[in-house]
Amino acid sequence: MIKVSPPKWADRFLEWYCNPSLLEEIQGDAYELYGRALKNRGRRIADIQYMWNVLRFFKWSNIKRSSSQPHAGLMMYRNYFTVFKRGFLKEKGYSFLNVFGLAIGIACFLLISLYIKNEYSFDRMHSKADRIYRIHEILQSDGVGERSASQPFPVAEALVNDHGAQIEKAVRFFNFQAPTLAMATIDNKKEFNESRVFSTDSTVFDVFDFPLIEGDPKTALNKPETIVLTESMAKKYFDGENAMGKYLKFQGNTNLLVTGVMRDIPLNTHFQFDCLISLRTFDEVYDPRVPQRWHWYWNPCWTYLLLRDKRDAPALQAAMPAFVKKYFPEFVRNDVTMELFPMTDIHLKSHMDYEIQPNSSLTTLYVFGSIAIFVLLIACINFVNLSTARAANRAKEVGMRKTLGGQRMQLIGQFLFESILLCLLSVVIAIAIVVLLLPVFNVFAEMSVKTIVLLEPFYIGVLTLLPLVVGIISGIYPAFVLSSFKPITALKASPNRESGGMFRRALVVVQFTLSIVLLVGTGVAMDQLNMLRKSDTGFTRENVVMIPVTRSPVAQNYEALKNEFLRNRNTVSVTALEEVLGAKHQVGNYIFEGQEDSRPFPRLTVRHDFTKTFDIPMVAGRDFSEDVRTDDSLALVVNETFVKQMGWGSNEDAIGKKFDNIPTHKIIGVVKDFNFTSRHQPIRPLVLQLNTTLRAFDVRIKYMAVRITGEDVPGTIAWLSQQWKAQIPGWPFEYFFLDSDLEKLYKAETKMSKIAVVFSGLSILVACLGLFGLSTYTAEQRKKEMSIRKVLGGSNAHIFVLFSKHFFGMILIANVVALPLAYFVMKRWLESFAYQVNINFGLFALSALVAVGIALFTISYQAIRSANSNPAEVLKRE
Amino acid sequence: MKGTYLGELEEIVLLIVGILYQDAYGVAVMDEIKNQTGRDLNISAVHTVLSRLEEKGFLKSKMSDPTGERGGRRKRVFLLTAAGKRALENANEMRNQLFNKIPKVALQFGAAL
Repeated sequence: MIKVSPPKWADRFLEWYCNPSLLEEIQGDAYELYGRALKNRGRRIADIQYMWNVLRFFKWSNIKRSSSQPHAGLMMYRNYFTVFKRGFLKEKGYSFLNVFGLAIGIACFLLISLYIKNEYSFDRMHSKADRIYRIHEILQSDGVGERSASQPFPVAEALVNDHGAQIEKAVRFFNFQAPTLAMATIDNKKEFNESRVFSTDSTVFDVFDFPLIEGDPKTALNKPETIVLTESMAKKYFDGENAMGKYLKFQGNTNLLVTGVMRDIPLNTHFQFDCLISLRTFDEVYDPRVPQRWHWYWNPCWTYLLLRDKRDAPALQAAMPAFVKKYFPEFVRNDVTMELFPMTDIHLKSHMDYEIQPNSSLTTLYVFGSIAIFVLLIACINFVNLSTARAANRAKEVGMRKTLGGQRMQLIGQFLFESILLCLLSVVIAIAIVVLLLPVFNVFAEMSVKTIVLLEPFYIGVLTLLPLVVGIISGIYPAFVLSSFKPITALKASPNRESGGMFRRALVVVQFTLSIVLLVGTGVAMDQLNMLRKSDTGFTRENVVMIPVTRSPVAQNYEALKNEFLRNRNTVSVTALEEVLGAKHQVGNYIFEGQEDSRPFPRLTVRHDFTKTFDIPMVAGRDFSEDVRTDDSLALVVNETFVKQMGWGSNEDAIGKKFDNIPTHKIIGVVKDFNFTSRHQPIRPLVLQLNTTLRAFDVRIKYMAVRITGEDVPGTIAWLSQQWKAQIPGWPFEYFFLDSDLEKLYKAETKMSKIAVVFSGLSILVACLGLFGLSTYTAEQRKKEMSIRKVLGGSNAHIFVLFSKHFFGMILIANVVALPLAYFVMKRWLESFAYQVNINFGLFALSALVAVGIALFTISYQAIRSANSNPAEVLKRE
Repeated sequence: MKGTYLGELEEIVLLIVGILYQDAYGVAVMDEIKNQTGRDLNISAVHTVLSRLEEKGFLKSKMSDPTGERGGRRKRVFLLTAAGKRALENANEMRNQLFNKIPKVALQFGAAL
């Protein structure tokens, strides 16, 4: 006979799960089959077959159940369910508070986590995303200059030529540094100013996966004067007709052939566009008449590299200093650092000058993450508190069950079962809330997340683990404490014994601590945001009309247009300048007295009346003057910080300092400091340069700025528009207000504060739901006590105070813990800003007051009820 | 009502138990089904059906005497009960009745459609 030895562990598994009364026959049959297979088909097959059979036998009917009473387990669960249902319906209020509070908490947590997940998903939709790097150019001398996200034109090609071993492809994006560009159909029936236009190399589709619906990605942007549109843009211009092979007129002078239509760009990319024009169309930008060294200085191209292997990145980074030395012109060579930056990190970690679109930040995500966890924690605490409070009322049930033979393990099982069931219910409601709110939240948080993501393993994991964990935590206390009662004590015990009170009070303190921290945090963050947005930037933002003029015919008509504009009595002053003041600047290299070689400085090119238009006072010297023709090339105006940085003593001393080593080139004036970038950064040195040449309008002068009085704004705008049309026919008049444009600088903070307000509000709400439930419970418990007090002469006020006293104690402790904690946390947060709002202690007092107020309001309902109750009614019941 | 209805597989197993008389236990039933009908069943499926039939009262069972085979494990041997026999007869009868009601024509030309 063959010795039967099926795999040990499978055999043991069988013995473990199998119902003992069935084990013998099952194991016998399995052994018999094993023996047969061993003889006929060899050991390996036999083993596998045995395991398979063991697995197949693993079914409900064969599984070992409660040994003493084979079907009692299931029966008891049915009973638990009945009892649970009755309890749930009997105390509808509690149940609602309990389940709904937790559901809100879970829903908040899910929504915030969806938001965070969305932030992390940026730019990851490209199949080669992990190999794509953007190359940054940091041009700085002694910390002054620029940290540019973009590169000079020739960098991409030179990099591929020199480092082809590591770089597979490179692609440049260029947006003319213009806010809007004119686009029209050939018949001019549809004209729009487009703001999301890029021109790019044909390699764009090799590097990124922008899916083309029509057209060949290999050839679409090969030739000059070709354009690829997104679906929406194709629809906008061609009304659903096939756009392929048609033409679009660009800036009124170039006809572009549509060679491709691509899907719209998803929202979770760090830059978005509506169309791509082949960069070869604009070879003239790369003007051969300009000396080569200037091509390596002007850096408007966002340059992305596709590496052959992402492990090559460090080596490539190490080769950058040599690359800079080889190519960059001598006057910047020592100040330029190149930096490879992984594309997938851009959205959260890149904070360069000239980002294509404002990025988000990790800090924001940490803030949201903490809020999510806080809200969830508060909701869980609620749940635990209310469940344990309610459970105390069930001592009698426990006693009865024990008397009738209930075992301790069964009671524990029952309590855990109930609380897990409740949690599951909350999860279901939470999911419903999320599904309902997601469309709104998507708009609110500017994302496009679909409900389907809840089916991802992470969420499935969270949604199953959460009810288990919270259920077990909230069930474990009553489970173990109540089940340990001796039946006789449990039956005898008066229902209003206060058990676990300490534990619940501690949890309430934690809850309110978290809520107060959130309140204070939200308050401070909003203060900070308001300070950033509203406080004086040193120049006038209101009533300034900005008119984009890059590469427009304004160049020839500027003076005439300016004079026409000024004829309106509501026009205060007119100028033109390089960038949106307060948002952006350019950089220029200068050699000032006392320096050996040229250094990069933040620069703004302006026209006359710049200081007048923006109301920036001169602190020394004079402004550019129309009477001094040489101001155009021989004069510079700088700011106070510049003077300080150079160590020139007083502002007056700066006047007459020479630059570029030419005796006639002099600094003529110093302006008072103003914030020429967002207040995320401190004020840096600034050079103002006058440029009245026609060519300046090609790239240097991008906007006209018109300050108006603010009276009859529509009339004034109409006037401006009219003059524009008269002077510059055939060119759309486009404008925006400076102050509203500058709001964009703080978009990330605005969004953050909006979301923070909503969720910290919700956290307070959830905490209050909990407090309300708890006070209701306490009122119930102390009903008799209060009645007796009243009978013995206690006044209503006395009862009220007595009742609310211990809740107040908790809120006070929460305040004592929360306020210093909030102060510390917010202090740390503010340190990341260049301009910090003074922490307003009034705000702390207010938050404390709000917390106490809301708590008082919540409790008072029950407090008043118990104070006003008729003792006779209460006492006669027993 | 539970117990009155015989599923197709249940009917086959019931028949096989009848055929194997006194020798019907899990593996044997499985083998016999394979021999008689060519159907490959997993042993666990056979067990399930057997215990379901016993629950319905069509089968009764007892444990056999231990032998040296099967690692010394006893077999559970199944026998038809009176109810089981009746159920088989009913099923058989009903099938014959229904079959007889098919018009002859249908059987002759049924396939010619």
